[in-house]
Amino acid sequence: MTVHNRGPLLKVSDLSVSYAKPRKGTHLGTGAALHGATLEIRRGEIVGIVGETGSGKTTLARATVGLVAPATGTIEFEGRDLGALRGRELREFRRQGQVQLVFQDPLRSLDPDLTINRLVAEPLDIAGGLSSREKAARIDEALREVGLEPESIRGRRPRQLSGGQRQRVSLARAIVTRPALLFCDEPVSALDVSNRNLVLNLLDRLRKDLDLAVVVIAHDLSSLAGIADRVAVFYRSRLVEQGPTKDVLERPAHPYTALLTASAPSVARHHALRPTDVRLDADPADQRATWTAEGGCVFAARCRFAHDACRVQPELVTLDHHPAREAACYVAGQWEAQPQKESA
Amino acid sequence: MSSPPEHTSMLTVEDLQVSVGDHLVAVRDVTFSIARGESVGLVGESGSGKTLTCRAVLGLLPETGQIDRGSILLGSGDADLPAVELTGARRSTWNQLRGTRIAAVFQDPASYLNPSLTVGHQVDEVLRIRGGLARRVARERTLELLHEVGLHDAELVYHRYPFELSGGMLQRVIIAIAISLNPELLIADEATTALDTVVQAEILELLRRLRRTHQLSLLLVTHDLAVVAETCDRILVMYGGEIVESGPTEQVLGDPQHPYTQALMGVASIGDWSRRTLDTIPGQPPAAGEEMPGCRFAPRCRYAAPECVAGPIPLLTVDRDRSSRCVRVAVPA
Amino acid sequence: MNTVRNLVRIPVARVALAILFVVAVVAVFGAALAPHDPLAQDPAILQGPSAQHWLGTDYVGRDVLSRLMAGTRLSIIGAIEAVVVGLLIGVPTGLLSVWLGRSGEWVALRVSETLMILPFTVFAIAVAGTLGNGLHQAMIAVGVLMSPAFFRITRAVALGLRTTQYVEAAELMGAGRWWVLRHHIWSKVLPNVAVAGAHAMGTALLVVASLAFLGLGIIPPTPTWGGMLSADLGFLEQQPWAPIFPGILLVLTVGSLNILADCIREASAGEARRRRGVLRRAVGRRDQTPIGLPVEPEDTITTEEEPRRVVAA
Repeated sequence: MTVHNRGPLLKVSDLSVSYAKPRKGTHLGTGAALHGATLEIRRGEIVGIVGETGSGKTTLARATVGLVAPATGTIEFEGRDLGALRGRELREFRRQGQVQLVFQDPLRSLDPDLTINRLVAEPLDIAGGLSSREKAARIDEALREVGLEPESIRGRRPRQLSGGQRQRVSLARAIVTRPALLFCDEPVSALDVSNRNLVLNLLDRLRKDLDLAVVVIAHDLSSLAGIADRVAVFYRSRLVEQGPTKDVLERPAHPYTALLTASAPSVARHHALRPTDVRLDADPADQRATWTAEGGCVFAARCRFAHDACRVQPELVTLDHHPAREAACYVAGQWEAQPQKESA
Repeated sequence: MSSPPEHTSMLTVEDLQVSVGDHLVAVRDVTFSIARGESVGLVGESGSGKTLTCRAVLGLLPETGQIDRGSILLGSGDADLPAVELTGARRSTWNQLRGTRIAAVFQDPASYLNPSLTVGHQVDEVLRIRGGLARRVARERTLELLHEVGLHDAELVYHRYPFELSGGMLQRVIIAIAISLNPELLIADEATTALDTVVQAEILELLRRLRRTHQLSLLLVTHDLAVVAETCDRILVMYGGEIVESGPTEQVLGDPQHPYTQALMGVASIGDWSRRTLDTIPGQPPAAGEEMPGCRFAPRCRYAAPECVAGPIPLLTVDRDRSSRCVRVAVPA
Repeated sequence: MNTVRNLVRIPVARVALAILFVVAVVAVFGAALAPHDPLAQDPAILQGPSAQHWLGTDYVGRDVLSRLMAGTRLSIIGAIEAVVVGLLIGVPTGLLSVWLGRSGEWVALRVSETLMILPFTVFAIAVAGTLGNGLHQAMIAVGVLMSPAFFRITRAVALGLRTTQYVEAAELMGAGRWWVLRHHIWSKVLPNVAVAGAHAMGTALLVVASLAFLGLGIIPPTPTWGGMLSADLGFLEQQPWAPIFPGILLVLTVGSLNILADCIREASAGEARRRRGVLRRAVGRRDQTPIGLPVEPEDTITTEEEPRRVVAA
């Protein structure tokens, strides 16, 4: 898949988000912390963001769409600073529908009392400016694009559809505004195996057909491996590695990525690396556990290769010989050769 | 997989049929056995009947469900493993069996723990009430158990409340409770589905280890083929309420003898991270109780032939210890 | 609407609606439909039921049936007054309070709590005492006292809905508060308000009857249910059965309202619940759980909103 060589669509620079106090009357803003995330997304590419619970992966998406305000750093969309948008400006921007977020569970993010037609029409209704004929045409277009039959689906309600269909409706609602950037939060976690790949294939097709940039947020690699061009790995609020999917997952530069790939179950049952090769079992006597709290590497406590330099959080640096890859580790790429260290 | 399991059968399920609601047959013709110390994976999508089968074995069928016929025999008949028929067993029998001979671990660990009691207290409870241990002895044993399931700062964890622990740690606590009375059979129903990748690997490793140290038989029920590939000696593939293939894991996954297994392999996580086309299985699985002539996978099967829908398909022996519910198996693809 | 369709499907609801319909008709056309002039006195006093006077006559010879029918109007109007006032005050403030800041919210809650602890009847009497002996004044006062119930219900539902994902999604589309209110919150608030309203009507009717019974707010000889009950008490020796008539009317109406409330709740919940006894419905237990709020699904896969780890994994 040729990645179009234009300026970045989304440019996140040194973004930090802290545990914000809940905004009034809602629980928006209780995302995990994010520290110094720097990432670029281009049109037409699919970027996977992978991380455990609490890694900050969803926070990046939420900050971009304005659900949570950044503490420091900038989020630029087509050159425009999104972090500074507030109130009326923010609403205006949202109405344009250029950046969309698809939630994880369509059962919760689709109003159960509304018909599919009303649901998919909502972004257009809110934005206004289209005649009802144009709107109807756009809705049909969006539904067809996601592989649903408008005539049979239009009058139904979310509960009458299958999980896979609901996910598609959610996607249809997101693309009806013809966005440039789509964030999908765990799009396939709740789906069965057969449906999973259907939706992933759909995302792949959407980005080709509509020249979208898609960011897939997932906690497991199998959701991304097939379709993501690039993958960004997050751990405990830090971006620890990013680069082309195949390279990052086959030859991980950061020990955590290696732990992730070693842990992912595989039917082939062939693992170059075992989790214990990378992971250090938690030992209460180990002082490395405190390094993280004192400004050290976020992964130090579990890392077999942690050494004195790791008392200071490493910056995200481009790897030698691999200009498209970055990792935040002092021994990036070299740890494989190191003799296995025992716990201190 | 380590030492070969002894061949005494721990659990023997024969010709099990379970129906739900208005006599909709959701599980039919299920026959399998688990040997002592063996781990068996029951794989299927939602609606395949794997959960109902698992619940039937545990005696936890929903109100609307019932066992129409078949037998579920726990134990081998040896002196230390008396055989007990589980279908139709009385509540008093179940109360005796659960925990001491069969234990279970489910998907969402937090909902199986009392949020207002410390974790240590809850493990203690089981040891004292069911195990009859005195308070101090129970505490010691609890700490041992917590340590055994990988919670090495056991003293600290003992005093924690469930909300203070992560999903992985809670699942370990549940496992500790499950093995506390030394059962012979542990059933894990989607036990790792909701956990992060790294934690999932740790829990599976724990289960493998416990199998070795406790001679525990394991029935792993999951939709994830890869999990079974890593953890189980034998695999049972379920589709539409029936077992469609069974055999040693390596053999079944290396050389599937049923089109559905083959299709599943195509969509499962391969571990090969290069870009690949994502296979899909067109169509939908049949609804529970849906009457179909012949093979239930036929509408979605690329090899379907007239003989596939002529009549009910039995489980055919393909090889020593392998069977498949496909009449076209002998025919090369 | 779905709810109305479901409602009509419940047999008990149909009966309740029929009864209430009859009561409404009598309330509107009562005076015209009555066989005799409700104020016409007659020497044939304290008669039992007869062909001419179906329910007999009272202590000054007035036709009981006609008085009941004429009295329905006043009672119903009084009850409606109270409920409408309660709704008008309670519902909009309940909705608004969801968007108020901390201090505004605090004030609104304390005011509603204060109003809630004042007892209806005593307060109404006090108001009548100060503002004059009018039934209408008294009922408006009762309405003010009822408003907190509507306030709380509306607020509870709106608050719960405010944090749902589909509202969050709507905000992400650029929707303003008004849009969210109109399209996502209002239709879910209505069933709850309807249930509360039906209950409130029943209560208000009883209050009207109580006030009339005590002689408040009516200038005799205007007939009211409560007034008739009160008068009947004085002549129990001669007509022991007399209080039954206004009594039954009250029971039927209030009971039907409670049944209706219960059925509305069931109808909007969407699934058929196990059949509840008519008696339980009629008594109208105060089940305050609002309908329409989403239940947290059990099978959400890992999300960010996990509690902070105290011990490292």
